[in-house]
Amino acid sequence: MKMLMKEWKLCMHPTGYIMLLCAALILVPGYPYGVSCFYMGLAIYFICLTARENHDATYTLTLPVSRRGAVQARILFCALLEVTDLILMGVFILIKSLIGNMPNPAGLDAGVALIGEGMIIFAIFNMLFFPLYYRDINKPGKAFMAAAAAVFVWIVIEVVGTYTIPFLQDILDQPDPQHMSDKLLFTLGGLALFTGGTALSIQHSAKKFEEADLSL
Amino acid sequence: MGSEMRSPLKVQGLSKYYPAFRLEDVSFELKPASITGFIGRNGAGKTTTINSMLSFVHPDSGEISFFGLPWAEHDREIKERLGFVSAGMTYYTRKKLKAITAVTKTFYPVWDDDAYRKYMSAFGLDGEKTPAELSNGMKIKYALALALSHGAELLILDEPTSGLDPVSREELVEVFLRLKDEGKTVFFSTHITSDLEKCADRILFLQRGRLKADDDLERFGDAWRIAECGGEIPAELKRAAHGKCRTKDGYTLLIRKEDAEGVTTREASLEEIMIHLEKEADEE
Repeated sequence: MKMLMKEWKLCMHPTGYIMLLCAALILVPGYPYGVSCFYMGLAIYFICLTARENHDATYTLTLPVSRRGAVQARILFCALLEVTDLILMGVFILIKSLIGNMPNPAGLDAGVALIGEGMIIFAIFNMLFFPLYYRDINKPGKAFMAAAAAVFVWIVIEVVGTYTIPFLQDILDQPDPQHMSDKLLFTLGGLALFTGGTALSIQHSAKKFEEADLSL
Repeated sequence: MGSEMRSPLKVQGLSKYYPAFRLEDVSFELKPASITGFIGRNGAGKTTTINSMLSFVHPDSGEISFFGLPWAEHDREIKERLGFVSAGMTYYTRKKLKAITAVTKTFYPVWDDDAYRKYMSAFGLDGEKTPAELSNGMKIKYALALALSHGAELLILDEPTSGLDPVSREELVEVFLRLKDEGKTVFFSTHITSDLEKCADRILFLQRGRLKADDDLERFGDAWRIAECGGEIPAELKRAAHGKCRTKDGYTLLIRKEDAEGVTTREASLEEIMIHLEKEADEE
């Protein structure tokens, strides 16, 4: 908890708050809504970049905490931001359903399945970004490029898939409450991938960080 | 023996290999309530040694213990009794000092608010300011205030006086002496040897990754003499010399005290000893 507070009080970058507001993009008609999750990845990159510029690793590692604890705190803090983003997306999906939800020609409609899609995007980001970042904390740009490229490819698959992949086109991209059980299963699968992927990311990242020689 | 009586820091056979640099078999031990100067030119391995001691980098071999406790099993406990200050490093430059302190204090079970206020006041620090608004000397004092408020018994400082004006350096030296009087152990690396002459009890001299000297300051300084030569250097002096430096009037030679009989010499400053020994190493 102390480490999470430290992440919030000292490492949080303003883009973290701004990108949370990007959940409101759900209200924009004809928009690939998965991109709002990508923006949160950008905020996480800025948090890690700011940490580097502020010598956060040296500060943290002189506190009575382990390297593993430092990694856990950073990833859990970012995962909390992602969960907040998903909750806000849910709120805006609800608002959109109340004001009239039009079909989205640029990817999944604003519905339950979109939350599952967001979780998958965050899982991909977390599994790639953090282990690469903790291999060399002075090069967050490299890690972000790799994770962003993978997320971009996944979003393209999702958008194109709503026209070409039957499961996406005929089930997930249909207005709620149609096919709700399938959508809920998909979202649960996304949740499993998000939690499992983030846990794996913590393990892998901590190992990388523990092995690394830090050039501070 | 109680942990209070144990050496605050013991380094044995520390080695760290990089493709272009090797830190070889560094061993030393600190005495409680003392000031130890860790000298050597830039690139000698001082920061690598400190980074290895604090596990920022992984040594290839060697054992490091603080207060009689090995780092690997007791790192958290050790860090509670340790303060690290690096001159070139400023944390969270745009955050107010009071915000950094508020976070930092939560990690230390023995944090002392009264001590913190005392040191902030004694160092003339204002919690409303940000590190970006502080001079380099004040930044170091703030880092010291944090370390001392959580009861650090050993202070490790990496080049704390570099980049400071002479008055600020003098102030820091006085702070170190006061801390020693309070029973703290101070270990600081520097290449500004004149600071050490004012406060250090002991000198560790690192040269090209190897510990060249580990001695009491007085004894280390007393072991050497400087001979000044106008023109041609006599052969016997040349043989006895440990490094030669060009001056505007000729040369200065560093010679051992026992080799200086019958030769006109003067006392050698720490800086002169270091420079001449480095010159000797360059010639080798």
